[in-house]
Amino acid sequence: MKKLFVIFLLAVVGYSLVNALMDVPFGENRIEPGTVSAFYLEKTPTQLSVANVITAIVVNYRGFDTLGEVSVLFLASLGLGSILYRKHKEGEEEVAILKPSSQLVQAGSKLIFPAILVLGAYVFIHGHLTPGGGFQGGAIIATGFLLMMMAYKDYKVSHNILMWVESLAGIAFAGIGIVGLVVSHSFLENFLAIGNLNDLFSGGIIPIIYVAVGFKVAAELTGVLDTLLNIKDKH
Amino acid sequence: MAAFLIPLLAKISKELVRIVPGLVIGYLSVVSVILMTQVINTGQPIIEVIGGWSPPFGINLVFSAFTGFLVSLMTFMAFLIWIYSYRFKKIDDAPAQKYFILFMMLVTGSIGIVLTGDIFNLFVFMEITAIAAYSLTAFYRDRDGAEAGFKYLLIGSFASALMLLAIVLLYTQVGTLNMAEIAQRMHTVPQGMKITIFTLFMVGLGIEAEMFPLNGWAPDAYSQSPGPVGVAFAALVVKAGVYSLIRVIFTLFDIHGAYEFLIIMGAITMVIAEISALKQTNLKRMLAYSSIGQMGFVLIAFGINTNAAVFGAIFLMFNHAVIKGLLFMSGSYLVYNTPSKEIKDMAGIGKKLPLVSLFFALGALAIVGLPPFSGFWSKLYILMAAADSSFYYLMGTILIVSIIEIVYYFRVMGRLYFGKPQNDVILQKPTFGGIVAMSVLAVVIITIGIHPDFISGFIQSAADTLLDKAGYINNVLQSTNL
Amino acid sequence: MDIDYNQLMSIGVYGSAIGLILIGLYAVLIKKHLTKIVIGLSIIDAGIHLLFIAIGYIKDGTAPIFSPGGLKALENGQPMVDPVPQALVLTAIVIGFAVTAVALSLVIRLYRHHQTARIDQIKSLKW
Repeated sequence: MKKLFVIFLLAVVGYSLVNALMDVPFGENRIEPGTVSAFYLEKTPTQLSVANVITAIVVNYRGFDTLGEVSVLFLASLGLGSILYRKHKEGEEEVAILKPSSQLVQAGSKLIFPAILVLGAYVFIHGHLTPGGGFQGGAIIATGFLLMMMAYKDYKVSHNILMWVESLAGIAFAGIGIVGLVVSHSFLENFLAIGNLNDLFSGGIIPIIYVAVGFKVAAELTGVLDTLLNIKDKH
Repeated sequence: MAAFLIPLLAKISKELVRIVPGLVIGYLSVVSVILMTQVINTGQPIIEVIGGWSPPFGINLVFSAFTGFLVSLMTFMAFLIWIYSYRFKKIDDAPAQKYFILFMMLVTGSIGIVLTGDIFNLFVFMEITAIAAYSLTAFYRDRDGAEAGFKYLLIGSFASALMLLAIVLLYTQVGTLNMAEIAQRMHTVPQGMKITIFTLFMVGLGIEAEMFPLNGWAPDAYSQSPGPVGVAFAALVVKAGVYSLIRVIFTLFDIHGAYEFLIIMGAITMVIAEISALKQTNLKRMLAYSSIGQMGFVLIAFGINTNAAVFGAIFLMFNHAVIKGLLFMSGSYLVYNTPSKEIKDMAGIGKKLPLVSLFFALGALAIVGLPPFSGFWSKLYILMAAADSSFYYLMGTILIVSIIEIVYYFRVMGRLYFGKPQNDVILQKPTFGGIVAMSVLAVVIITIGIHPDFISGFIQSAADTLLDKAGYINNVLQSTNL
Repeated sequence: MDIDYNQLMSIGVYGSAIGLILIGLYAVLIKKHLTKIVIGLSIIDAGIHLLFIAIGYIKDGTAPIFSPGGLKALENGQPMVDPVPQALVLTAIVIGFAVTAVALSLVIRLYRHHQTARIDQIKSLKW
């Protein structure tokens, strides 16, 4: 009976969504001169010398959102820590991964892991030039750590280091913002030289912020994974 | 940013962890009051632009008389909550450092919601507040916090999903995310789409603002979370939710019938919540339902949509934060000493914990609207506004509900003072910080009750600013200097 | 047959976005196992994000990056796809992840407490 009701509800929701989307034709060019998108597309290469418009939006135009998002990540690892807090009890062992993985996986992971790290670093350092950026790069790095954690039963990442990296990166982000406030009367305003389009060092503070973000995200995601994988439980 | 510093500071000294949030929040509240007075004197809101890009291309923060008033209220309450939880016993057992950081993020999120002038930014700050809230609800290990937290999370995530959908659709129609610009372009949106988006917003925000029937998460969240967290929910989070709802309706949309909708939903919320409160046996759940009812009352007042009504609504928001804050604070101590948290077991505590019970009684009297306490004025203004608009049925409903409130609050007080005390209860006296916080609130309630003119100036500016939609648009968009 | 191709794409993309949302919704409402509910929540998020990006698409558009390849595309008269939804979705995805992480930790806590992860068996509080 409940299932019928739910299916009916889903039909209603689906229908209204389809209806709403009729008014939003696919592929139509909605970038008219008055909208924000036109402005971004126009100004980014000239005023900011950044090639990747999306990066410019995320880090500069809407940098405040990104600060909030970084805080959300921070909150998540914090929340995890507080929810799963447990006084250390006797006689408990890790339950998460019981069987060690095969020789192939172990050897392979050792090889791939540095490559993944480099790839991730590349992605977030070049965030303003190619698709990608801090979040994407940080996620890639965390995946590398995940691989190691799953291949090796006892692979541990020091929570201390993670915490330091995370806090420092967060402070860096906010700090740069405050410097912007002091120098140019606006939080997060760009205060470094602009450089040329497509150079590695173009875009003023944008690549710097993205690097900080990359570190932070990598640290946080890895921390979350580590917390979840190392839950001690009675058997 | 201070939140990031705390883990580092904790390495230095455990005590510091408790002090830094207080300093920051204290500083913030002083700053916001100063800004508020400046705003009222100059008549111009302060618009802070982020990243050097003026709206609508950048994000802006708007500190108007209305938002500034709310922010001052929130920081003031946050400061008191901090004092209250400085040495709150139960928090000492759990990782205190995490608690304070989460709390600061909750405050940050709520303030951000109120101050922002950009609708996606609103979403981001709502999520910050939400995640902090979920974690804080489940903070204790021994109660059913996890379950309450999970329920809250499910319903809250649903709300944010709807909000996101609404923002998506809205963006396709107006091509901007800045609230002032959206307000300007709203008339170009086709009617059907407008209604769909509006509905999405209403349901999404209604969940946060505890509108019926979307408030199922609230009673559990309030009753299972640590005491000060309950205060924070009532004073900060819910206010931010109601603010977003009001902002969307008053500034963004121009749909006829939105205001009547508010009145109806507010009335339903109020009636059902107060009746449920009557049936409760658990003190904190009763207070939670009472909160929901008060929020319904606020919605009704906003819905009446006259200057006097809006004035009353904002006044009520202020009163509710202060009074409910006191009730939850004292209530937590009352409940702490009762093994089962049931009202019937609280018999006779009035004699053993005289100060706490007195605070509770004060709060109860204030909230049902008895003079000479502050609650009286807000109810009076709203009733008068309703009378002016000839909403007689509404007035009747409000009065009946007030009687219901009196019944269940007096029931608790009766238990407190006239029951036979049980002798096997271990008493937990409130900490010094707790007493200070509660006294401050009590003083506020009494002072404003006798002299409402202390803050009515602020509230009047706030009300005027909210209703002045054209002014909002102009102020924001004129700071464009590109 | 250019127009038919666009129509097909629109049905495909919009359809899958809506489909994801509905599937996720179904999982959240019907399934009894807590982890499945959390996964459902995640799927709903994915659907909405997909929808968001989809509306930013412009026919024959290219990525909004002014790299050498992008500049060449501009010379060919190709419009650039709307960058704003992509930037917003980036933020939304991260937020969605954070919520999922917290949700999972709550599930673990509940499991420890009640030795079960089924919602019908964890009902100390009134639903």
